[in-house]
Amino acid sequence: MTKWTFSRRTFLQGTAAAAATIAAPAVHAQTPVLKTTAWGGKWGEVLKGQVIPAFEKEHKCKVETDSAFPYYPKLQATPKNAPLYDVLHTNTSEQWQAVVEGLVEPKLSAKDIPNLADLYPYATSDKICGVSAFTSAIGFGYRTDKGLSEPKSWKDLADPKFAGARGSYIIPVNSLGQMHLMMLGKIYGKGLTDLDAAYKALEQLKPIKMYDFTGGMEKALLSAEVNIGVLHDSGIYRYDGQNQPIAFAAPSEGVLSLEQVWNITPGTKMRELANQYINFILSPDVQKTLCEAVWYSPSNKKVKLGANYDAKLYNTEAKVAQLIQVDWKWYNERKDDIDARVTRILRG
Amino acid sequence: MSKRFGGAHAAYLTLNGAIVAFLLLPIAIVLVFALNPTPYIAFPPVGVTLRWFVKFFSSPEFMNALWLSIYVAVIVVILSTVIGALCALAIARGNLPGFRLLTTVFLSPLMLPAILTGLALFQLFMLAGLGRPVWGLVVGHTLVAVPYVLRTTLAVLQNFDRRVEEAAAMLGASPSRVFFEVTLPLIRPGVIAGGIFAFIVSFDQLPISLFLVVPSGETLPVVLLNYIRFDLDGAIAAASMVSIVLALTAVLLLERIIGLRAYVRL
Repeated sequence: MTKWTFSRRTFLQGTAAAAATIAAPAVHAQTPVLKTTAWGGKWGEVLKGQVIPAFEKEHKCKVETDSAFPYYPKLQATPKNAPLYDVLHTNTSEQWQAVVEGLVEPKLSAKDIPNLADLYPYATSDKICGVSAFTSAIGFGYRTDKGLSEPKSWKDLADPKFAGARGSYIIPVNSLGQMHLMMLGKIYGKGLTDLDAAYKALEQLKPIKMYDFTGGMEKALLSAEVNIGVLHDSGIYRYDGQNQPIAFAAPSEGVLSLEQVWNITPGTKMRELANQYINFILSPDVQKTLCEAVWYSPSNKKVKLGANYDAKLYNTEAKVAQLIQVDWKWYNERKDDIDARVTRILRG
Repeated sequence: MSKRFGGAHAAYLTLNGAIVAFLLLPIAIVLVFALNPTPYIAFPPVGVTLRWFVKFFSSPEFMNALWLSIYVAVIVVILSTVIGALCALAIARGNLPGFRLLTTVFLSPLMLPAILTGLALFQLFMLAGLGRPVWGLVVGHTLVAVPYVLRTTLAVLQNFDRRVEEAAAMLGASPSRVFFEVTLPLIRPGVIAGGIFAFIVSFDQLPISLFLVVPSGETLPVVLLNYIRFDLDGAIAAASMVSIVLALTAVLLLERIIGLRAYVRL
């Protein structure tokens, strides 16, 4: 039988090794560290593989990314004077939740972020806190092999031929579903905030398949589980060249704007670096790289996209005029009531 | 064999077959998805491809996450087996006042939703100014892994014949020698079984990891969750198959080293 020995020397060696492991991060203590958030998938691959290394090299710093969603509760749980992130990148809805609690800045300074001057107005409109660096257009994804004509209106989703073969999102958890609900208010009622009309229209869409993520909707379309679904353009264009029978349709009433928003936390100790990072994300070269990687539309007017992207994405004054932005502050204030109501509608 | 017995035997075999199928069918579906070339779940499969495995193994993000998960799980196994086994010994042998309360306290991480444990630990680390170091993640995983080791070790200790230890002591063995050469080998099946649970609990841990993962260094479940938000393709199934094979390998290795039959007595 093996005889176990545990000498003082062994103990000291083990303790020293453990201490060295714990103390290892101190080696980088002199390098400025910027803490931010980043999505996963192809976006994360390009951001972490190309964009961040270039920024680190240019600014002699280290960027730490957190991809473990959700970000907002984590930011809430940290002291405001020592926030978990210096820069928060997330969707518009969460940014508005954060700004109401004073966790991010309401506006960014064009003096500190020069590239803000080159953006389309929607990127810094009163519907945005911080800056929208990219956007996707929310319309319809539909099957092209089912003999369907291209949807022209948001009302087409209610066509009886799509009963049970139409898709949207679980409204309490998905911002596309929330925006679609507001769009129903605009199409069937007095405007984006006409909830009574929206609820009534939602009732008429039953039976409808609901998904939690856009990834789920994409697969539902690809596998013909649904023939039409609410989806952003990048969720369709990413299959470009793969010979898949799906296409994107932009309704004539306008497309919803799904913004990717960057903002700075008020308590950051890295404000200058945070401004430089956002300025870097807004620079034409970085915008082009990320847009062409994931089919997002750039906010910077100076970006020159490749021909295929240029033809499809929202990158001219005329095209961005079709983008409809929603009032997330208004929506968030009513979210609990809306969640309860839509859950009742879709359960019944 | 009587006709009545034959019928009962057939029903018994059918029931067992149904249970085995119920347990294995999800794995079979994952395998089919992992080998199917279509970028979505489709049945019947249209072909066989290894492209999703290639994608998984060639992705630095997946590979870094896989190694971090293994690294953390191995440390968690070591810590939780040591802590869990010692706690079990103290509770079973120590004549401690309020030992039932102590048992409940040690098992309490299993009763709380893991997401709350994760959030609480996250807030604690933040308030203490510790940030999110790797050891914080290890602490979080260990907290939920210890109860498994405690439970399985206590089960073995309940049937432990203490006269064996007394005989060793009477023959001149020191207390430490009695522990390492008599007690530990006898409780080993419980400790090892708890260790296997600890490995699986840590390797698959998501709710706690969501809050405690190190910036720029996520564990595999976190990366997979992030991935399916945007790319729900066969790479997820390939990652799942790798996880299953890894767990199976760990069990088979243990079987070779200590003999799987040792657990069966538990």
